[in-house]
Amino acid sequence: MIEIRDLTKTYGKIDAVRDVTFTAAPGRVTGLLGLNGSGKSTTLRILLGLTRPTRGAALINGRRYRELDHPVRHVGAVIEQGLSHPGQSGYARLRTQALLGGFPRERVGRLLEYVGLEDAATKRTGDYSLGMRQRLAVATALLGEPSVLVLDEPANGLDPPGMAWLRELLLAHAAGGGTVLISSHLLAELEHFVDDVVIIGRGRILASGTLAELTGTARLRVRGADMERLAKAFEHQGANVVPEGPFLFVSGLSPEEAGDIAFAAQVPVYELVAESQNLEDIFMSVSEAR
Amino acid sequence: MIAVVRSELYRSVSIMSSWLALIGFAFMAALFGWFSREAWSLFAGLGAFGIAVTVTAQHFQHRTMVLVYLNHPHRWRVLIAQCFSAALLGTLLAAVSGVAVLLDDNAAHYRSTVLVAPVMAVFGTLCTAVVRRPLWLIGGAFAWLLFAEGIINRMAIGLPFGSFAMASGGNTKALLYLLAWTAAAIPVALWAIHRDLSSD
Repeated sequence: MIEIRDLTKTYGKIDAVRDVTFTAAPGRVTGLLGLNGSGKSTTLRILLGLTRPTRGAALINGRRYRELDHPVRHVGAVIEQGLSHPGQSGYARLRTQALLGGFPRERVGRLLEYVGLEDAATKRTGDYSLGMRQRLAVATALLGEPSVLVLDEPANGLDPPGMAWLRELLLAHAAGGGTVLISSHLLAELEHFVDDVVIIGRGRILASGTLAELTGTARLRVRGADMERLAKAFEHQGANVVPEGPFLFVSGLSPEEAGDIAFAAQVPVYELVAESQNLEDIFMSVSEAR
Repeated sequence: MIAVVRSELYRSVSIMSSWLALIGFAFMAALFGWFSREAWSLFAGLGAFGIAVTVTAQHFQHRTMVLVYLNHPHRWRVLIAQCFSAALLGTLLAAVSGVAVLLDDNAAHYRSTVLVAPVMAVFGTLCTAVVRRPLWLIGGAFAWLLFAEGIINRMAIGLPFGSFAMASGGNTKALLYLLAWTAAAIPVALWAIHRDLSSD
């Protein structure tokens, strides 16, 4: 469980984040979404004890990061797109981290294989692609078999198969009861697998909730035999109806209600589509609202 | 803390530039050792300082210090471990580079230099915790050595490198000066390590 409470970080007179509050629950993937410079990384760095907050608290399983006993056994972090010395091989880099965390050497080989880097293990990380560095960073995060995963922009540099691999990994981790907090500005990518969404902009929370709540059903697109009668029937039930071309755009009704109303009005329906918003639409609308 | 020392030493031997720096500094010291034992001592001390700066600053340069702090968030413990591993490398550098001095019937001088070199390595690690950028630190140290210690102080006792040079010859007072400089760097380094780590 991750809890962020009234978190504020100020640099001079500029608020990098201000009064940020949200939770990331076990068994769920929580997406922290925002544009570059919106405060995502600052929030995560405070959570991981790398940056001190001006005010507020960031807790993992009820404790601050530095208060955790052997923190990498609780939290695995992927930040700054795969940190490594370019002259060190992938194996040596992971072995260094294993020594640092007190993990056995055998785990290094197993993890390199798990992230698909076994053939590049002896290659210098300076020669790795961005995607390979991200995979190595994920392997590092998994060294301690943590229950909480915190990932800052892990999708950067990953090709579509890499993205699918990461998605499966995170979903499996959450399905096993783990907590996943992932930040990204690639809204379309995250839409495929996050359960909860926190949208941050200019250092403040703009919206938060489950993905289903936020994307919800915005309106229905309906095409039927007698559009005038259909519109009157919907309006009679309190819906807002906007005719546009061959369609009626109906808000305030569920697809089931709209179908029942059309059936009762004895108007054949040829098309009934629930148009939901995507994350990008929501992000743009909450950004503009502020 | 032992985990950090083991990790630091493994890291140092698994990165070629660290190896090259160690060999380069040792070679310089050994080379000057052919001319005079005092020159060897000075370059062994500079080498111990340099290797400490190199291995510690690499963490800041490539931001891998983030990974160290994620494993060990109590930063003062990391600093102690890094001082210890730098001291081991500094001792190794001095011991290996001074074989010619040892064979030349200067065992006492060799011993005192090898014993004092780790203090220079610790001083280098503490300085790196404050400055973080290796080029600034090595450039600054070179300018300091040339102007403040060489031209103004004429490598006399009192300032860190001059004190090291004298201490490596068995001068106890110079050793106390060097220890005082190192002790003075500790609170500054302890303050400096708690600064935020900048992201890319």
